[in-house]
Order: sequence, then C-alpha cells, then structure tokens
Amino acid sequence: MPVILDDMVQFVFEGRTLAVPKTLSEKLSLPPITITIDGHPVEVPQASLKRDEAGRFVYDADGNPILRETTIFDAAIKLSEEAKQRGEDIPISIPILCHREHLTPVAVCRICVVDTDPNGKSKLLPACRQPVDKGMQVKTMATSQRVRDSVGLLTELLMADHPSPCAKHAATKDCELEVIAENLGCTSSRFPRRPKGEDRPHDDSSVVIAVDHSACIMCDRCVRGCNEIRNNQVLGRMNKGYLARIAFDLDAPMGRSTCVSCGECMISCPTGALTNRAVVGITPPDKRDPSKPVVVHADELVTMPLFEGISHPFLKFNDGAVVRKHYKDKDIICKEGDFGSTAYFIEQGEVSVYLSASFKHVKTKKGKGNHGLFGGFIKKFRSELVSRKTDRREGEGTQRFIHIGDSISLDLEKPIAEIKAGGIFGEMTCMNSYPRSATVRALGPVTVLELQRNVLYILQRSKKSKAMLDAIYKERAIESHLRSVPIFARIAETESEFKRLVDRVRPQVDLLRINNGDVIFNQGDLADAFYLIRSGFVKVSQRHLGGDHVLNYLGPGGYFGEIGLLTDLPEVRLLGLPSGRRTASCIALDHVDLVRISGDAFRSLLDEFPTFRSEVIDMAFDRVHENEKTLRDLESSSLASFLDQGLANAQSLLVLDLEKCTRCDECTKACADAHDGVTRLIRDGLRFDKYLVASSCRSCLDPYCMVGCPVNSIHRLNDREILIEDWCIGCGKCAENCPYGNINMHSLPAEWMSDPAHPENKVAVVQQKATSCDLCHGLSSPSCVYACPHDAAHRMDGQELLALVKASHK
Amino acid sequence: MIVQRLSEIQHRCGYLPEDELKALSKRIGEPLHRIHEVASFFPHYLLKPGPDAVVRICRDMACHLAGAKTLHAAMEGVASEFGSGQVKVEGVSCLGQCDHAPAACVNEFVYWDKSPRELRGLVERVLAKEGLPRQEAPTDRLDWKIDPYFGGEATYEAVRRFAENPDGDAIIKALEVSTLKGMGGARFPTFRKWSAVKGSPGVIKYAVVNGDESEPGTFKDRELFRRAPHLVVEGIILAGLVTGAKQGWIYIRHEYEEEIDAVREEIKRAVAKGACGRKIFGTDLEFELEVFVSPGGYICGEESALIEAMEDKRAEPRNKPPFLVYSGLYNRPTVMNNVETMSWVPAILLKGPEWYRDMGVNGSTGAWFISVSGDVKRPGVYEIPFGLTIGEMIDDCCQGMKDGLTFKAIAPSGPSGGVLPASIPVSRLPAKFAASLPEGTTEFDVRTLPLDPSKLQSLDNMLGAAIVVLGSNANMVDFALNLVEFYANESCGKCVPCRLGSHKLAEMLQTLKKGNFPRAGLALVDELARAMILTSICGLGMVVPNPITTVLKYFPEEVEPYLA
Repeated sequence: MPVILDDMVQFVFEGRTLAVPKTLSEKLSLPPITITIDGHPVEVPQASLKRDEAGRFVYDADGNPILRETTIFDAAIKLSEEAKQRGEDIPISIPILCHREHLTPVAVCRICVVDTDPNGKSKLLPACRQPVDKGMQVKTMATSQRVRDSVGLLTELLMADHPSPCAKHAATKDCELEVIAENLGCTSSRFPRRPKGEDRPHDDSSVVIAVDHSACIMCDRCVRGCNEIRNNQVLGRMNKGYLARIAFDLDAPMGRSTCVSCGECMISCPTGALTNRAVVGITPPDKRDPSKPVVVHADELVTMPLFEGISHPFLKFNDGAVVRKHYKDKDIICKEGDFGSTAYFIEQGEVSVYLSASFKHVKTKKGKGNHGLFGGFIKKFRSELVSRKTDRREGEGTQRFIHIGDSISLDLEKPIAEIKAGGIFGEMTCMNSYPRSATVRALGPVTVLELQRNVLYILQRSKKSKAMLDAIYKERAIESHLRSVPIFARIAETESEFKRLVDRVRPQVDLLRINNGDVIFNQGDLADAFYLIRSGFVKVSQRHLGGDHVLNYLGPGGYFGEIGLLTDLPEVRLLGLPSGRRTASCIALDHVDLVRISGDAFRSLLDEFPTFRSEVIDMAFDRVHENEKTLRDLESSSLASFLDQGLANAQSLLVLDLEKCTRCDECTKACADAHDGVTRLIRDGLRFDKYLVASSCRSCLDPYCMVGCPVNSIHRLNDREILIEDWCIGCGKCAENCPYGNINMHSLPAEWMSDPAHPENKVAVVQQKATSCDLCHGLSSPSCVYACPHDAAHRMDGQELLALVKASHK
Repeated sequence: MIVQRLSEIQHRCGYLPEDELKALSKRIGEPLHRIHEVASFFPHYLLKPGPDAVVRICRDMACHLAGAKTLHAAMEGVASEFGSGQVKVEGVSCLGQCDHAPAACVNEFVYWDKSPRELRGLVERVLAKEGLPRQEAPTDRLDWKIDPYFGGEATYEAVRRFAENPDGDAIIKALEVSTLKGMGGARFPTFRKWSAVKGSPGVIKYAVVNGDESEPGTFKDRELFRRAPHLVVEGIILAGLVTGAKQGWIYIRHEYEEEIDAVREEIKRAVAKGACGRKIFGTDLEFELEVFVSPGGYICGEESALIEAMEDKRAEPRNKPPFLVYSGLYNRPTVMNNVETMSWVPAILLKGPEWYRDMGVNGSTGAWFISVSGDVKRPGVYEIPFGLTIGEMIDDCCQGMKDGLTFKAIAPSGPSGGVLPASIPVSRLPAKFAASLPEGTTEFDVRTLPLDPSKLQSLDNMLGAAIVVLGSNANMVDFALNLVEFYANESCGKCVPCRLGSHKLAEMLQTLKKGNFPRAGLALVDELARAMILTSICGLGMVVPNPITTVLKYFPEEVEPYLA
C-alpha cells in the first residue's frame, strides 16, 4: 500500500496548480541558481517536474508528479533557447547519444561529458545526469581541449565497431552516432574492428522490426522505451563487458518473444540496430507465403478515410503493422480469454460478438458425506456450477447487461451482438494486454484490417481518425454502453425513457483517451464532469491519515465523478461533503477511454429524468458509506512494519499457530473436500513469530485482483469479500493478479451448450471459473478451521494477529 | 530474491533451464528480461548445460607468474583423453588463492597446489559420479593484534559495552583518533562514513561488509573470515548500532565456501550469546545479520555494484552522487566497509584508539593486513604496521626472493596501480617527490619506500591490499597484458569507455606482444588511457590503463623490442 509520509500541498508550477508532496514542493521552491557554460551565464531552477515526450507531466504510481533535478544539459538547452530569443546564436555544444529528456538519465555513453573543474584536473562529468550546482563553471568541447579529446576518442571507440553506414544511415542519413562522428571528423577509427561473429547477430524474425546487434551501441534507450515508457517489459541487456548486448525475454528471437511490436524501441534507437524492415529493405516473411495475411502498405493505407490524418512517413516507417485478413462465414476471428496484441477494423462484412462461457458460478454443496466416528467430523462437499437464478448470492449484481469493453454491452439473456463494417474491436486487448473479452465470429464473408498497437495508438491520437472512430461510437455504441452501466439500469427498464435519455446524452459527450499513470482529477479539485469508462482501469483513492488509500478499482462499464457534482443537492447536502469538490483522486492505470459528460449537462439530465436522479443519489449514498467504512477500517490499523507484508490490510486471515500445528494438512484437505478437490488454501505463507499466515483470500483493502478483468465480473462486497459474477469467462487474469496466489482456477466438466451465434448447434464447453476463499458460506465456521484437530487454525483480521504477535513477544 | 533463486536452480539442475526461468518469472512476478539480464551477467550462472566436469584454471597475476598457462595446457591435454564434451578446461578470474598459485577449480570446488595428475584424479571422480572433497585450509586463530580475544573466547565485549552505554558519538570519535581508514584500498576515513550514515535522516538504514575480495593478489579477508570471523561480525554489529542500521549483511564471494560457513556459524554464536539479533544483551537494541553469497565477479567489489547485486540487478556501478551513505541499498543510507576495516573496530574500542594509531612506524599511523604473492619465498597474509618499507616486507615477512631471483618490480595495489621498478631514476620521479630526496641522489631505491598510502600517492601510484612482487625473470610487457586482460574480462560493460576501451586496449597489447607494433600505436594507447581515466563511471575503468602506462614509464627499454 502506498504510504505518503509527506503532507500534500497545492503548488503552482509553470502556471498549473498541482497537488504535490510537501518535500517535493520545497525542492521546487528553491531559488534559481546561475551557472556558466563556456563563459555564458544562465539562470536555471534547481529542480523541475518530469515530463514525457509530449511535454506532459509524468506521475508515479501514487499519482504524484516526479521531481527532476536540473542537469547541466538542461541548463545548456535553456542557455541556447534564451539566446535564440535574443537573436543570438549559442549552439548546444554537448553531444548526446544515450540521453533523451523524457528518459531517466543513465549516463552510460559518456559522450556528453563536460569539465567542471576550474583547474582542469579532476574527472569529467556527464552533463545529462550531473545536477547543476551554484556557481558551477562548465566547459564543453567548445572551450576545453580535454573534453574535445575525450569525446573524440569515445566516438572513435564506438565507430570502431559500428557498421558504417548502418542500415539507418544508409536509408535516411540520420544515424545519430554517424552524424556525431561526421561532425567531429572521426568517421574512421584507429582501433581494431570487432570481428564478425555470433556474438552480434542479425535477427530478422520480427515482421515489423529488423534487429542488427552489430549496430547497437548499448545506449539503453530501447530498454527504457520498452520498460519505462511503454511498460511492456520485454527488452533487457544480456551478458557483461564487451559481450553485452540487448535481448528480448530470455534472448528469444524478437518475432518469437512476448514483444507486441509497439515500435517504441525502433523509435528510440539512435542507430541502425532497430529499424523498420521496409526502410532497410528486408522482405517481410508474408511476401514469401501467399497463404498468410497480406501486409497493407503505406501507399494504400493513406487512401483510406481511417488513415487520412496519419502521416505517410509514419505509415511507411511502420510498414507491416497493418495486415488484411479474410474470413469465411462462421470463422472465429478471436476467442474470449485469449491474449493478443492487435485490434481489428472491419472493412467489409459483419461479425457477431458473444460470450461462450456459461453464466454460472461455482457453488459448494453438502455431499452425501462420509460422516466420521464423531458425527460430521469430516464434512464432504462437492462443487457445481449454478446460475444466479437458482442460487442468488448476497451482493450479486442484478444488471441484465454487461459491459465487455470496446463499447459493446451484451444482454445476459442473449449474450450476442453484431458489429458492422467500419467498426473496430479488440482495442482493449491491443492497448492494455488484457485477455480478449469475447469471441468474435464472421457472419458471412468478412475482411478485416488487423492493427498492431503502434498503429492503433497513432489512430487514437490523430484528430481525423479519432473523429471518425468517435462518430461510430456515438452513432452505434453509446446506447449499448449506457445500458450496461448500473447507474442507468433503472431508467433502462422503460425503453422509451431510456431512448430519450440516450438521445439527450449523445450530443453532450466528449470522448477522451487518458494515458497510463495520468491523473484524471485530484481530490480537492473542482468537480466539473462525470465520467463513464469505455475501456481500461481507473484507481480511485483518497488521502487519509497521511496516506493514500485505494477505495476502489473501476473497470469497463464503471462510472465516477458523480459525487462531486451532487454535493449541493438538498438530499446530499446533509452528508457534509466539500461543496463542488472532488472527494477522491482518480488515476488511469492503463490506457483508459472515457466518456465525459460535463457537470452542467449531467445536472440537466438529473432535472429532466427523475428516475435517473433518484438512482444516481441512491448509488452515491452507497458509495459514500462504503468509502467511510473503508477509512474507518484504516483508522483501526496501525502503520507498523507489518504493513510491508500487506497483512494489516487483511480482513480475514487463516492463521496457524505453528506451536500447535502438527503439519497434518487436515485444513488443506478439508478445503479441497469442501470445494470439489480444488483447494483454495495452501498451508504456506508469511511467518510472524510462531504464526503462519496461510494463503487464503486476504480480502485486501487494495484488491489488485480486480484490475484487468476483461468482462468486469469480479466485484467486492461491503464486507470486502471478493465475489465473482456468473459471467466469468475463466481467463485467469484475476488469479494471475492476486499477489498471494489466493484465486484459483476451478475446472469443471464440459457442458453441452447451445452456441449463442447458432442456437441450433450444441457445443461442448469446458468450464473454467475463478474461485477464491468464500469462508465456506453457509457453514458455521470455515471447513479449514473446523477440520483442524489441534486447535491450531484460526480466522482473524490483521489487527488481531498483530496483537497476538505483540503479546507473544512480551 | 532473483540471485538466491537462480543459485538454487543452478544447484538443483546444474544450469538454468529455460522452463525453470519461465516458471520463476511467473512465481515471483518479474518479467523474463529482468531474470535473464541477471542470469546472463554473472559467469557463475550457466544458461546451457555444460560438460560433466569443468576445470577452471586461474589466469591472473600470481597464478600467471607461477605458470598457470602451463597448467592450463597440461589440463587441455588431460581433457582430450576423455570423450568429447565430457571435460572442459577454461580460464577463470582470480580465485583468491594467490599465496599458493596456480589455483584451479573443478566444478564448484577450489583447489591449490595440485599437479595435473592430481587434478586428473579429481576429474575422474566427477565422471564416476563420486563427490569431490573440499580442500581445507587451516582455521586456527593466530596471535594477531587485531584479535583482542586471542587465547580466549570472543565475548563481544565491545558490543556489550555499547549496550551498557550507547554512546555512538564516542565511538565515532575513537575511530577518528585511531586514524582507521578503508582497507579495501580507497583509504576513506572510517569515522566519516559512520558519522555520515548516523547523521542521515530516515528510520531504515543498512550495514554491509564488502567481502567480495576478487582483486587478483588479494586474499587477506579470506584469512580473517576463516581464522577470526568473530571480528567482522562484531565490527558490523557495532557499525549497525552506531549508525542506526538494524539490518546488515556480510557479502562474501561464492568461491569462499569455508569462509561462508565460518561466518554463518559465528553469526549463530553471536545470536546465541545475545550480541546480535533482537534485544542485544537484554536491551532494546537490535541488529539482524546475514551472509549474502555473491553471485561473483570483480566488479561486485565496487561498492555500488555490490549494492546493485544485492538488489537482484546486474552488478553495474551507479553514477555518483548520490553516495551510499545517503542513498545505498534500496536507496536507504548504507554503511559499507571492507572486512578488515570492520574487523579492526572491536580491538580499537577495547584497547583504545591510540593503541592502534601508534602502531605505525616511519611516521605512519596504524596497522594493516597485506596479501603478498609473486616471486617471494613465503607468500601469504601478514599483519604489519603502516610505514614498514618494501625492503623490510620482502626480507622480514616473506624471507626474501625465491629461487635466487632478484627484486625487479612490485605491484603495490594488485593490478590497479600498475608497477614500480626496484629503482627509479630521479628524472622519472614526480618533481615534488624528487625534491624531497637528499641532494645528489640519482636513483631512488624503491625498497626504501614505506608502505603508506600517502607515500605511494606521491609517486602517482596507490597502495591496495594486494602486493605482488616480481623477480628478475619477469616479462613486463607480458605482465601488463595479463593485467589489462583481467580488466577486459571483468568490465561490467555499462559505460562506453570501459566496455570498449578495456577490450581494445587488451587487443592492442596482444598485438604488441606479438612484436612489430607500430610506434604510433603507443600514442593511441596514451590517448585511450587519458579518455578512460577522465570519462569512466567507476574506478575499474579508471585504472585499466595503469599496468601499461606504468610499464611504458618505468620499463621503456623492455617495450622497445616489440616495436616495429
């Protein structure tokens, strides 16, 4: 759990008001200092905030801006820019290779070294990373012979092993190393060349990107691009010393690695080590195999309305990232639960979207039982799948429509929808690497364009393409989307009223795209809009007791921002919420698509539709109460070292007293017995003194398991227990997310079901559902506790355990 | 936990199978590239199954002088007698057995004083699936001044005194008076480090002992670990108590198996005595101590690289600032000292700082441990006062040169400082140094040079813990090449000057060694050396050129025959 020890303060930075931790604001408030570079004075702030390529602020996981100490290189840029404004010319005489302003400086190429020692004796320092210091006198290669000599020699070392011209320089004359070498006049090297060999191979396995390890200078830009900027976590460095080079995963060929071809590494690469295949003229594999999908090239793409706003060079640079595929009637295009990295645009034909999982949950029932000697000592249970119609669970949703992202909602009664030509699907998987949320099948012959992530990303950023996609959403999808949002459920019962509401909403919405890590709003900001989530996940958190605490994670179909708009309504005023202010902060956890309805429009909807108004207010009350409960629970917890283990969070731990426990494993067996042979409990976990906290659902205050469910079927109830709704598709994302391994996938026998797309056909569907500890609902005590013959197993919350541990120390 | 888990997998499977790494990635939630970048960094980890028996012959300094190449060739011959792929012979960086060179490894076990025949016997045992014996070194305590408990039980008296009167400032003052400095070779005053960490804000701080000892020629920590582990354990507990660190690690290179066992046993004993762990001697003081087994490599001796390895990363030195005392392990203030530095602390506190300070001779202060190897009669570890002259060291400690050789040169800081000749013409001495000599001196006799960091510095050299003595038959060009090759092998590859520079320099010296080296090439060596010193991130890159620049400076006549 993120704990901010600092108080938050409002801070005005470059005209923008930001909420920042106090220590950070103190650093930002330090007076500017003056340094000289080659004799020119320049005044710089001592620190600023980190920004991305587009100049937007970057936030950490807690939603705080990130401090960035001003470096000598920053000062050199400022000096040059200020000179330009005065009409003078002071060029930046510090070359850079491994550095880019939006990346964390690593200072490995050392080409940016400068001299800061007035006596010209001590080591040179990397300008890209060295913070400025008051009165510093910097000499660059413009005025220092030893800097010039060093930079020249480093360039010569790099050029010794560089295949010159490299693929990039040969094609576009912009290999950054070769440009520097040309400027310094050291294109030929006096050092021996690296012999051609296995240690620096070519890798042509990727459809889009050509890898030439011999042109790599190990600047680390691609690695930071992949992991830091895109968070794709594929690229790393391997080996050490002279044999070091970059590698994908466990040094897999790029095309067979987990790379999603986002293109960031290629854009980051200063040399010809990572280039576009088309640019360097390596034939993509599809040309050799006519049965494979066909690459649609830039020249054709620019003629399509969808790509109208995209620059021709970009498409050319990303050649291979769009392929055309043809499907016959009933062909499956993608399947629910599958992983992928592409989205689909329908050129011709129509597809059906449906869920093939059965809408049921795993229920434990009393079996015939093997009643032991002591009557019921051993309980036998079995598990089966039941639907909410026959087994209604407390807290379960009542909604009829579920949102599966991509702006499609499915009716649980008949979970099938159609998408027509011009529509796009699969964006959520493509952008955020979540499992596919539904199965898509061709209805008649279909032609689609399959798009790689970098192309989809640029489409969503291009004004023209975005306008086109947005128009499709507003025209076709908004109705279906709103239907699945719980806040509209009551009004949707009256079809005519709902249609009227949709027509009212349609012209009022703005469609937004928020990047991962960006703050949508901060607690205390003025409330000016209401938001619906089309895809992606949003973290809702509140500051409390000096810490930042997660109240909820909201996924596709979720909504937020209504409370701040309601505070002045008479019914709500008595809650005493700050008038017109945000009561919590919302941060995008990944690429989030939002529907924004302005505060005024939202309020006029409330006035016009009383059913909607009462529903909104009821739900807001529930939310406020739930949040209060969460925070009350927090107050009772202390921030002991315990916190680190995430245990203080826990509401229901299975604690084993190791002094009493004989390791007989009866608890695990009882759990397996109770759940059809699949145990939800593992007798292993964190140890505290003589207590072992066994793995079973900890019902965490920060339930990370909820992030990423593609069909939004995992929910948290008021008592913090996790409930998995019937429409779980068994993809396993939540089980993967749970840091404690406490969600298990339960496989059940295949069931004959009618195929939603073709009801006349029956198909066998193997059922897999997520399960977590249910505290053995309906039994007086959980099976594991009951089964323990040694009184060693107990259920308790984190605070009780803390008290026990403390007591045993005394 | 990546490092320990990789070691566990390798121990179980003999190498790191891909499936195991994939399963590990899933289990600990770290991406594949994170695991791979660590696994591929440390040569100790094998990503492919190797042959049944691997014989590794040390290739560095003392072993090189003692005929490691001959042993290597002999073992190649032995390997060829077995079926293909059964036995492999390869070079390995210094194993810390320089006093009985040449040393060798068979699979995981380190051996010394072994003939090719004996090594062959060990290989046969491996192929017959019999276990290998561990070659044991003596563990008896010696009458060292550093051991205040010699002759009795180590009672952790200095810790007990602190528990009774927890006055950290007094201890820091004592360290200041004692003049104790970093024994890893950097000679940074210990009291400064401790007081910086003590003064750093923050509740969580750490203490670490740097026991990576991988520099060729250095093996004194090995002896301290094995013969007197209670000293380093007591030293780090005190460092923790004084600075406020509640957790500490003793970082030891993985080849030191006996030493690792000895320290682990001693930590258990300290805990049992109440000197370590919770409630130290019944007070509320606490300090948890563990051994961290290094995944290996010379670069881990660089303190920030060591911290990176402990954080499960590639052992690549950090850019500084920030320094470890402000932002070290997991970005917390961290006090890190060499094994010997920590080991001196108990004696200094129990016998008084003046006692330590006044041990120095010839105007120096304090005492220290040296590892002497090379062409002397009795190589080994000696506890000597600072200020003892090189001549006294050779004659008194090591009983003179071996096999009738005369003293030709000395490497006073392992490979790092390069070499000094037996005698230096005044014209080649730094002006300031030359001026301090009696008038009329034409040659400076290096045997009269006191072993003191400041004296070596005034000769533009440095004083490390490793001292390698070369006899009259040594080939200086060959020696310089060997040292530079060591650095090329051990460069982490993070920064351009060291990654490429060390390799290119080694390549150039290999060409020089073959003869007919163009004279203009020497200018390039000089240019490269300057750029490496000025631009490398860490000390390794900065010292790579020293072996060849000092040979060019002091033995130009030996280089001459190799030039075109």
